[in-house]
Amino acid sequence: MAKILVVADIKQGELKSSTAELLSKARAIGAETAVVAVGSNMSSLTPDLVNAGSDTQYMADDPGLELFSAGPFASCVVDAAKQFNANLIWFGFSESGKAAAPRVAAQLEAACATEITDVVIDGEQIEIVRPAIANKVMQRVKVNTGQLVAVVRAGAFEAADGVTGTENIVTLSPPPSDLKAVIKELVSDASGEIDLADADIVISIGRGAKDQAGVDLVKELANDLNAGFGSSRAMVDGGFMAHNKQVGQTGKIVAPSLYMAIGISGAIQHLAGMNGSKVILAVNKDPEAPIFNVADYGIVGDLFEVVPILREEIKKVRS
Amino acid sequence: MKILTTVKKVVDVELTIRIADGAIVEDGLQYVINAWDENAVEASVQLKENNGAETTLVSIGGGDNTDIIRKCYAMGIENGIHIEDPALEKADSSIYAKVLQKVYEKGDYDLVITGKQAQDTDSGQTGIMLAEYLGLPCVSNVIAIEVIDEQHVKVSRLGDAGTERVELELPAVVTVSDSINEPRLPAMRGVMMAKKKKIEVMDLAALGTSPEEVGGGAPKSEVVEFMASKTRQSGQKFEGNAADITTRVVDLLVNEAKVL
Ligand SMILES: Cc1cc2nc3c(=O)[nH]c(=O)nc-3n(C[C@H](O)[C@H](O)[C@H](O)COP(=O)(O)OP(=O)(O)OC[C@H]3O[C@@H](n4cnc5c(N)ncnc54)[C@H](O)[C@@H]3O)c2cc1C
Ligand SMILES: Nc1ncnc2c1ncn2[C@@H]1O[C@H](COP(=O)(O)O)[C@@H](O)[C@H]1O
Repeated sequence: MAKILVVADIKQGELKSSTAELLSKARAIGAETAVVAVGSNMSSLTPDLVNAGSDTQYMADDPGLELFSAGPFASCVVDAAKQFNANLIWFGFSESGKAAAPRVAAQLEAACATEITDVVIDGEQIEIVRPAIANKVMQRVKVNTGQLVAVVRAGAFEAADGVTGTENIVTLSPPPSDLKAVIKELVSDASGEIDLADADIVISIGRGAKDQAGVDLVKELANDLNAGFGSSRAMVDGGFMAHNKQVGQTGKIVAPSLYMAIGISGAIQHLAGMNGSKVILAVNKDPEAPIFNVADYGIVGDLFEVVPILREEIKKVRS
Repeated sequence: MKILTTVKKVVDVELTIRIADGAIVEDGLQYVINAWDENAVEASVQLKENNGAETTLVSIGGGDNTDIIRKCYAMGIENGIHIEDPALEKADSSIYAKVLQKVYEKGDYDLVITGKQAQDTDSGQTGIMLAEYLGLPCVSNVIAIEVIDEQHVKVSRLGDAGTERVELELPAVVTVSDSINEPRLPAMRGVMMAKKKKIEVMDLAALGTSPEEVGGGAPKSEVVEFMASKTRQSGQKFEGNAADITTRVVDLLVNEAKVL
């Protein structure tokens, strides 16, 4: 039976939904499951880790692990992988996962794959499916080592209902800190804002929003809907939106129920971050904009005219 | 400071990619410098201009890489190495990283700058694995590099919780995001000069290694099939009076798509 170790995705002291999604998939395959949690002050997370569907919890809980540092983070995962004898080590999609997975693979001499969307295990043979070339193709990849470290693409697996695990805590000893890559400062993202990865609705703006007035206009709509407020790279480069709001290949990958692309042309690098969304609405004044090729609903029009109407109409149907 | 920059030749992602019988159809493809490697080149050249550095690039595979290496010369890179060997045909990131390790060990470099990701694989592994194999510190997804002194650089990285500022002891490896800079367009003069510059071409033997040593015979993973990606269908597009069509779309979002 395959043994799958899931790396817990913890942000600001909270367990993110990807952990349960990955564990659900692992259980559906019939694998034995464990989770490894790396961080500080995590004792209160134990019930969440169990409920997410893990049967063993490897805990690396130490004040020295509070700020992310790829070296020590990877060491903890390697430690857990060895103790658990894992065939598959899965990270949820995050910058930490992307930074740590290749290190873990190199240390274990395992194969490594990022952004996987599916996995097929047949006896000893592991195969995965993943997009490549900016999502233009899919690849079926054969793993030749019997052990795979993978980063799972956002939205690839769903959390099943009624899943739970059993508590079996294994304490890991904290690794030494990386003296050659010392984190000096963390400039936190604006807290209190909705994490794009969690939001059920994401509304993103592009260069079409033009300036601060455009940003504010669309932001009001996002606030009304309690939606995540994202951006194309153009508005980040323009200094209107924070880096962590960028959706796309270089930014966040999102898969909400509803994605609204407002004043975004639909460059492939942007599409690669959002074309897994369930429903896409595009507002663009250019009827030929490529975003309309992927949008379920398209409004051809000036966003400065359309967005206020959108707000009003949505308010009406919601009240 | 000696900087090694890695540059991969990749298929132009802006063009249509067709698939037949589980493989990518070569016909009609074009090849360019990996976009993130252009950012790596630009970062290296800026360090050279602002702090003084010797800049070398290495590119593995790709057949005739003269064009892309010349473009990097024209941007300001001084030396170019091209590794070409039939044993690398099925290379994965781990194998490229092992070849890069050999290149690094021959050159006594202080800083390696790679792109965060190759546009053909979208893997984002090679630079990080190289650092592991070399036992060097590494920061990925870097958006700024600042030289502190001969032994240290300070880098900013986009992490999950925000921008992390990390002090790195050299030698070190960084992988850069496209947010780090805007790659320059080479000036005409640079393009002319680049034509005269030599490119050092080597196979694995000339590099002092063998296919076995870099794992070339047995990749840890291999692509067995390419498939068309699920394309989304374009849905309903509305043109006309803004109030009318917007009202109509809201109604569809509520009653048809049921997402509002
Ligand atoms: C290596 C690499 C990585 C990248 N990663 C990302 C990424 O992660 N995310 C990302 O987004 N991009 C990324 N890009 C950039 C990408 O290629 C595009 O340049 C970018 O997405 C364009 O942003 P945009 O659609 O906002 O702007 P534009 O392409 O300029 O489009 C603006 C759109 O707004 C419309 N418009 C203008 N005015 C109005 C109006 N009043 N009302 C309605 N519509 C209007 C226009 O018709 C146009 O379609 C990357 C590029 C590279 C090379
Ligand atoms: N064949 C290659 N030659 C030179 N550099 C490479 C090669 N493969 C990968 N790299 C470097 O490693 C980065 C990440 O590649 P990948 O792991 O394939 O996403 C790229 O942006 C390049 O800088």
